Amino acid sequence: MQPRKVLVVDDSKLMHKMYEVMLRQYPLVYALDGRQALDRLREHADIDLVLLDINMPNMNGLEFLAELRADGARPDLTVVIISTEGREEDTARGLEAGADAYIKKPFHSEEILDVIQRLEAKGSAA
Amino acid sequence: MGLDLVSELRATLERAGELVRVVETNLRGASEGSEGASSDERVAELERRLATAESDVKELASRLVDSEHQGGRLMNLYVATYQLHATLDPAEVQATIAEIAINLLGAHQFVLLLRRDEEGEGYEIALLEGMYDGVIPIYDGETYRGGDPMVDQTLKDGVLRLGPTGESQALAAVPLRVQNDIVGALVVLKLLDHKPILRAEDRDLLDLLSAHAASAMFAARLFATKDRKLRTLESLVKLARGE
Repeated sequence: MQPRKVLVVDDSKLMHKMYEVMLRQYPLVYALDGRQALDRLREHADIDLVLLDINMPNMNGLEFLAELRADGARPDLTVVIISTEGREEDTARGLEAGADAYIKKPFHSEEILDVIQRLEAKGSAA
Repeated sequence: MGLDLVSELRATLERAGELVRVVETNLRGASEGSEGASSDERVAELERRLATAESDVKELASRLVDSEHQGGRLMNLYVATYQLHATLDPAEVQATIAEIAINLLGAHQFVLLLRRDEEGEGYEIALLEGMYDGVIPIYDGETYRGGDPMVDQTLKDGVLRLGPTGESQALAAVPLRVQNDIVGALVVLKLLDHKPILRAEDRDLLDLLSAHAASAMFAARLFATKDRKLRTLESLVKLARGE
């Protein structure tokens, strides 16, 4: 099952443009930080995939994830962290915080598409 | 065009896979019902065709992966160019250069040097990123006055250089050009922990930065200067009119 809508959470406009080109087959919504991302989730109930950066002002990615999972209102939401924080402990921390996958920047576009396809297949099987 | 090639390769791959399945089925049928030398020849022929088809499938799969990587690299270049020229705000152009270096190149520590208008005044340190454990002395302050031989040579002759070398800790010195004029350099000092070295595919991005970063910055600064002058003139006109 394809994502109905994708939320891009990153303070980089360059990355927003990147996702716009890479994921043109999906409707996208954008946020510049975790706080805006929470607002977007409230505004768009059909978002089912979040591409999440870590280092952002106001509310970073891990803080957003903690608040999202604590809230419990969207247990179905798939979150993929896409970050420059690439050490093993960063990946472990992100997955422990509730992310479904972790991709390190810079990345190849196939990595994102592969993760989306795997998560879609998982969702279909469930 | 890249996407068409990828689609074509995928379709060819599927046809090759189908051919493999047909040959396998024929082979199985030939083995089960075979009698005599003619059947052995047929089996041998089918096995040869199967081996050829499998080899073709592997080659096509490899070409498909290469095409996808190439498509990804082209996308990076397109987005970087688009974003550099999408604004006439000098601060936003500078931020875009930093975002390209961090998100697409994987740079952790880097410096953006821009030539000062006054002769002999060194280079303005327009951007300095990632020096959380202390600034390298030659990049400390507002002005770079030389000190890294590789960087100095690049600023002089406009040649992109990769390091580190015996004399320089810089990983890359990327000249920034406006037409044929060298107006500065992007110096990459350190990459992200999980990216050990610059790859061959990063060269295209460095070349792009060399060609486009400076022209985008130049256009933005020129616009900002003209815009300020225009606003000043408009204010004077209003004052003269008693508005």
